[in-house]
Amino acid sequence: MIGKKILRVICNLIFIIFSFTCVFPIVWIFYSSFKTQAEFMQSSVALPKALDFSNYINVFTSTSMPKYMLNSARNTLLSVAVIIIVAFLAGYVLSRYKFRGRAAIYNYFIMGMLIPIHALLVPMYVQLNEMGLTNHWYTLLIPYIGFGLPISIMLIESYISSIPGELEEAAAIDGCSFARTLFQIVFPLASPILATVAIIQFFAVWNEFTFALILVNNDNLRTVPVGLTMFKGAYTVDYPRMMTGIIVTMLPVMILYFIFSKRIIEGMVAGAVKG
Amino acid sequence: MKKIADRRGTRLAIFLCLLPALAIYTYVVIVPIIGAFRYSLFNWSGGPNMKYIGLKNYQMLLKDKNFWAAFLNNLKITILCVFGQIGIAFIFSAMLSSRFIKLKKLHRVVAYFPSTISAVVVGFAWSFIFNYDYGLINVILRAVGLNDWAQAWLNNPDTIIGVVCIPLIWQYIGYYMVIIMAAMSSIDPSIYEMAELDGASGVQRALKITLPLIKNSIGVAVMLCIAGNMKIFDHIYVMTNGGPGTSSMVMALQVYKTTFVKNQFGYASAMSIGILILSLAIVGGSRVLINRPWRKERDF
Repeated sequence: MIGKKILRVICNLIFIIFSFTCVFPIVWIFYSSFKTQAEFMQSSVALPKALDFSNYINVFTSTSMPKYMLNSARNTLLSVAVIIIVAFLAGYVLSRYKFRGRAAIYNYFIMGMLIPIHALLVPMYVQLNEMGLTNHWYTLLIPYIGFGLPISIMLIESYISSIPGELEEAAAIDGCSFARTLFQIVFPLASPILATVAIIQFFAVWNEFTFALILVNNDNLRTVPVGLTMFKGAYTVDYPRMMTGIIVTMLPVMILYFIFSKRIIEGMVAGAVKG
Repeated sequence: MKKIADRRGTRLAIFLCLLPALAIYTYVVIVPIIGAFRYSLFNWSGGPNMKYIGLKNYQMLLKDKNFWAAFLNNLKITILCVFGQIGIAFIFSAMLSSRFIKLKKLHRVVAYFPSTISAVVVGFAWSFIFNYDYGLINVILRAVGLNDWAQAWLNNPDTIIGVVCIPLIWQYIGYYMVIIMAAMSSIDPSIYEMAELDGASGVQRALKITLPLIKNSIGVAVMLCIAGNMKIFDHIYVMTNGGPGTSSMVMALQVYKTTFVKNQFGYASAMSIGILILSLAIVGGSRVLINRPWRKERDF
C-alpha cells in the first residue's frame, strides 16, 4: 500500500513538473522583461530585483509594436467576420438543399483542406502582385479568408445538418422570407458552431506568419508575428527588450485563452478532429 | 431534412449563397495551383522575361540534392514529432485519466496553452532557451556542474534536427493530449473496473484496453501531425533559418529562399508542385495505412 501511495505521489509530481515546463518558458520571458540588459547578463534566470517598466515604455513609445498590433487586430476581426458570414451562407445551403452539383461543390471545398498552403506561396505572390493587390490594408484578408473557408464550411454544414429543420418550415409556412429565415432563425441556432469557427480562425489568423511575410512589405501594414522578426533585427543584443515585445504581443491572446480556455480547447479540437 | 430546389427563386438564392464562398476560395486556393503549374514550365526570375523550357525544372528538381535533403529533414522531423508529441501525449493522457491525479482541469488548460501561441513566439522563446550564454538550458547545466555539456545548441549541424524538434514537441503535446483524452472519455468505465478486478496493472490497461479502443483517434492525431510537419516553416525560419549551413533546411523554407532570395520563380514553382505531390502522397499514404473511413457517408 505504501508503495502504491509513493507511486501516486510520483505521478502527481511528474504532472506538476510537466505543467510547469509548459508555462515556464513564457513565465521566464515575462519576468525577464522587467530586467535591464545589464541585470539579465549578470544572471539570466534570477528574478528581477525591482519592477522596471522602462522596457514596456520603450516598446510602446519608440517602436512600431502598437502599430503592428492594430494591424493584426484589424486583420483578425475582419477575416473572422467575413469567414463566418460567407461560410455560413454556403454551409447552410449545402446542408439544407438538394440540387445538382451539391456533392461536387462540397467536395471541391473540402479538397482545400488537403492542400499545403506553403506549396502556393510563389503563385499566390505572383498572382496578387500582378493584380496590384499586395501591400494594401486588405491584402492579407484575401488568403486568410480563402484558406479559412474549407474547414469552416465543413463544420457549419455538418452542424446544421444535425439540427432539425422544423423551425424553418414553420417560418416558411408563416411566409417568412428566405433571407429573414436565414439570419433570424438559423443563424442563432447555429451560434455554437459559429463560435467554434470564430475561435479556430481567430488563432489561425492572429498567429499566421508566412503570408504576412511575403505579401506585405510596407512597415505600416506589418502584423505582429512578422513585426517580431523585424524587432529582432533591430535589437539583437537587447534580450529583455525583445522579451518585452514578445509579452506585449502575446498578452491579448493569452488573456483571452485563460478566460475562455474550456470553450477554446473544445472548439479547436472539434475542428481538428473533424477536419 | 433536405429541401429540393425546385423553384427558380430558390435556385437563385442557393446560387447567391454559394457565390461568395466559391469565388474567394477558387481565387485563393485553386487558381494559384494552376498558376504554379504554368510558371513551373518557365525559366523565370520574376521579371518580364519568361522562357518556356518544358519540364526542365522538374528534371532539375529530381536531381536537386538540396531539395531532397530538405525533404529528408521534413521526414525526420515528422517521425520524431509523431513519437514525441503523440507518444508522450498518450502516456500523459493515460495517467491523467486515472483517479489519483489531482488538479486535472488545471493540467489540461496549462498543457494546451503552448499550442495557442504563435510559432514565431515559440521559435523566439526557444532560441532564448537554447542561447549559449544566457539560455535556460546552459544556465541549469552549469548550475549543476555539467559545464562540459553546455553548448551552442542551435549551432551543431549533427544534432540540429533533434534540437529543433524539442520546441515542436513542447508546443503540441497538450494539443494531442486533449484529442486523446476526448477519445478516452468515451470509453465505458466498467471495462476498466472489470480489468482492475482481474488484476490488470495500469500499464496493461493503457496498452491492452485503451490503445485499441482509441485507435481511430490516434490515427487522426498521427495524420494531423504528419500534415503539420510536412509544412513546417515558421519555427525553423525564426530559430535557425535553415542553418547552420543547410542542416536544418525544410521544404517550405527552401521554396521561400529560392523565390525571394534567389529569384528563381520558375524553379520555385516546380518545387511547390513537388511539395504538393509529396505532401499529398505522404498524407494520403498514411491515411490508407491507418485505414480510417474519413469520408462520412453522404446521401447525395
